Amino acid sequence: MTPPSALRTVVLWAVALVALAVTLFPFYWMLNTSLKPATEVFASPPTFVSAHWSLDAYRTVLTDRPVGRYFVNSLVVALGTTALSVLLAALAAYGLTRFFPRGATPFVLFLLFTKMLPETLLIIPYFRLMSDLGLLNTYWALVLAYSSFALPFSVWMLVGFFRGIPREIDEAATIDGAGAWTTFVRVILPLARPGLVAVALFTFLIAWNSYVWALVLTTDASMYVLSVGIANMVGEYRVQWNELMAAAVIAALPVMVLYALLERHLVSAITAGAVKG
Amino acid sequence: MNVRIAGATRLALSLAVAAALCSGAARAADPIVLQWQTANLTESQYEPIWKKTIAEFEAANPGIKVEPVLVARKDHWTKFVAAAQAKQAPCIVSVDLTTAAYNGYLLSLDKFWNAEPASFRSAWNPDILTAAKWKGQLYGLPIWGGTYGEIYNRDLVVKAGLDPAHPPKNFDEYIAWGRKLTGDDHWAMAVLGGKTDTTTRVLLTWIWANGGEAFNADMTEATFAKNPKSLAAIKTYLGFARKGGIAAPAPTTTNYLEQTNLFAQQKIATMRNAYWSVAKVVGDNPALKGKLFATSNPANVPDAPTLATVTASSISASCKYPEAAWKFIKFDADRKWSIERAVVANWMPMRNDIADAPEIKADPMLAQFVAMGAHARSYPLPHPAWAEIAANDIVDAVQKALLDPDKTDQIFRELDAKVTKKLNDI
Amino acid sequence: MDLAPRQRQRLTGYLFVAPVALFLAAVVIVPLGSAVWTSLLRVRGLRSSFVGVANYATVLADETFWHGLARSAAFTASSVLLHVALGLALALLLAELRTARTALRIAFLTPWMVAPAVGATVWLWLLEPQFGVVNYLAQSAGLIGSPKAWLGEPLSAFASVVAVDVWRGVPFVMLLMLAGLQTVPQEQYEAAALDGANAWQRFRYVTWPNLRYLVVVATTLDVINTVRHYDIIGVMTGGGPASATEVLPVLLYNTAFRGNRFGEAAAIGVLLLAIVLALVVVYIRITRIDRDAGDAR
Repeated sequence: MTPPSALRTVVLWAVALVALAVTLFPFYWMLNTSLKPATEVFASPPTFVSAHWSLDAYRTVLTDRPVGRYFVNSLVVALGTTALSVLLAALAAYGLTRFFPRGATPFVLFLLFTKMLPETLLIIPYFRLMSDLGLLNTYWALVLAYSSFALPFSVWMLVGFFRGIPREIDEAATIDGAGAWTTFVRVILPLARPGLVAVALFTFLIAWNSYVWALVLTTDASMYVLSVGIANMVGEYRVQWNELMAAAVIAALPVMVLYALLERHLVSAITAGAVKG
Repeated sequence: MNVRIAGATRLALSLAVAAALCSGAARAADPIVLQWQTANLTESQYEPIWKKTIAEFEAANPGIKVEPVLVARKDHWTKFVAAAQAKQAPCIVSVDLTTAAYNGYLLSLDKFWNAEPASFRSAWNPDILTAAKWKGQLYGLPIWGGTYGEIYNRDLVVKAGLDPAHPPKNFDEYIAWGRKLTGDDHWAMAVLGGKTDTTTRVLLTWIWANGGEAFNADMTEATFAKNPKSLAAIKTYLGFARKGGIAAPAPTTTNYLEQTNLFAQQKIATMRNAYWSVAKVVGDNPALKGKLFATSNPANVPDAPTLATVTASSISASCKYPEAAWKFIKFDADRKWSIERAVVANWMPMRNDIADAPEIKADPMLAQFVAMGAHARSYPLPHPAWAEIAANDIVDAVQKALLDPDKTDQIFRELDAKVTKKLNDI
Repeated sequence: MDLAPRQRQRLTGYLFVAPVALFLAAVVIVPLGSAVWTSLLRVRGLRSSFVGVANYATVLADETFWHGLARSAAFTASSVLLHVALGLALALLLAELRTARTALRIAFLTPWMVAPAVGATVWLWLLEPQFGVVNYLAQSAGLIGSPKAWLGEPLSAFASVVAVDVWRGVPFVMLLMLAGLQTVPQEQYEAAALDGANAWQRFRYVTWPNLRYLVVVATTLDVINTVRHYDIIGVMTGGGPASATEVLPVLLYNTAFRGNRFGEAAAIGVLLLAIVLALVVVYIRITRIDRDAGDAR
């Protein structure tokens, strides 16, 4: 590549910083609002830095509202969804790449089709189904729903990823006497680890952030997830913006930390999976 | 590394399974559990009261547990309907009564009501009970409500050189006050045009105050444009939001929340609202405590009715324990809780036996709203499609007229046609 | 003799794929069947009667459906276009920068990690007419004279929901494009540099041909996601003002849960599904031809 000139670098950085400011400003404002006392929230002109910043809103949210409980529920649902859909997606991707080498177009189209359904169309029928199965107010209702949202993309990504693992490796294992299942568990899964991590990250995010289904499928406040708990803080009659923003920060922060730690897996896994596949 | 991931996966799975089993087991061991869903449970000022109500009820009725279903107001109906469609709705609900009864989601309460002694039944006026009936059957017990009046900020009124002892009595005086109360970055009032039925409520008070009607008597025809007095009232009221008018900007996104924010921050001097808005405003800005006064809506005709919302407690059609549910509804409708709701949350009692209660008398503004309630029409209006008409069709017309005032006549003529069709399509 | 192992092989393959197929059939197809059935009923609460295609006739005769379709088309087209254009631009920018790459990448990804419903609520607060910071900043910069009701006028409300959807949607496309850029063989750039290609030529003749397939995939996925999207518009405008943002998913929601007309709502949903399906089929066709032509070259 051409050697970077100083001017070019300056221009590129200027563009990057402007883009960054637009991207991150809402987060700054979220944090800023959550730290203000209720009386200052409506100050005009608005304050960008305040001498009255405090963690009071966080304290209120964590003590008056069972946000801790919502957090645990969200975590269980998101982890459960991740476990279930990574497992199912890995099985399917292995089956598709190893036993249907000419491709399984109908199946892939079916996956794509399930992704196209408008959510609102399915809410009531899905509620009836869960009610018939006695799964209302359980983590299962949400885990099953979210897995169905996440699976199409997960399978698609893993298919690409598994294709990148040379078949000679399976064949070597088969010659050593391993069956398909053993090969899958002992040989393929370890090799596919980066892909599995990436798929897990995608799935976790879908489950962590969904709203409408959790709203409808849980009635017991002790089963609420974070997104529903936060929505309940927006009354038509009362919104405490500082508390609402504090809850939003509490919901967003762990995901951001998780992604910051595991982010490098995402790009490399998509490179290996989706792009080449 | 892969071992760790497998471990994490297994942990997550077993966590999910264990949690699912736990919640299942807890359910089986419970006695009668009554779920209770009303949109107001998430209102902060009401929370201490309902918690106390449930605690005392459970103490007095061992074997019955009441489980509150907390839901944001905007999602309240969605959540109820999804459950009602699967015959799994919470036992005790406060919902749009006529719509819910028409759709078969509610249980008729006639059996329970008629079995009660006359001393209990006499606490509710027949008018108020009418608002909780559909096709002659009672579907809910009115618990609380809100009468709409005009609430002023005394300091701003005085500052504008106006006399709080002589508030405007008709539209012209209101406009005269409005001019004086409007300045560079503050306004007399806010026109409501946001996408909830609060927009419709306030519009109706203006129509009625001008001697107009929005519907014919048996709710088979809409007369927003057909009735000249209605149309004139609509034009006057929405006209406040025109450039150089007396209303705060951005009416199409203004609802109760925005209106009370503006009022609490002293950006507007008056608001058309129910008494509960006072609790909200003072919560937002404690400095306003004791600085507000209320009057009945300025009107161009004598004895113009205002609007009073009625919230009733109902029993879902699919409820497995209707007797227990009725017990709780009766408990919650008791005098004691009515007074607490009125004093703490500023919700108007529906019983006729507490106007003389010392707690009520001690609050002059509350007493004033109780008096205004004598001339009130109950809301929601009795039609199965009312929820949609109020929150969608009328709001849509208001928004269109606010955005294009010159077409107001045509917009409300179209509204009349559209709503009349809906009223007859049941 | 030769057949048996191949059959066994097949069977094993089906066993691996079966869990996902069965799972999706149970969790998605059963409710879908029920929804399609509902679209043939006149539903009034718990009472319903079979009316055939009457709901479809009603919906198709109602101008609100066509209005919603037009809004959906406009929303999807503008959002997807901006997602892909800005996502690609950001990816190229990040690839050019030598320092702090990881930190920047994570920073640019953050909007995608926030729930759409929560993100929309935050924006609602930013865009508040009287107390919102956006009006304050725009006024201070002299862009507007008086506070603007961003969500109160049809055009600016539409632009606002698109902007928020773009804010949230760009990072994912950026991620895909970054991944794609890593697969471009470095030698091709070196060869281009030797030929004296400028930045635009390098993009046009090296980067773009390598990325084209991925752009197609990203666009398809994005169209599917955007055309069905409800959360952001539902929270920010609910379809208003005066129906300016009433895209089909919002119309579907309002018909079902505000209007209580579940039969017609289901019909809208099925029509929406059919539209998405048609779009995707056409799209796959076009790109396949494109790709085959590319292969032949």
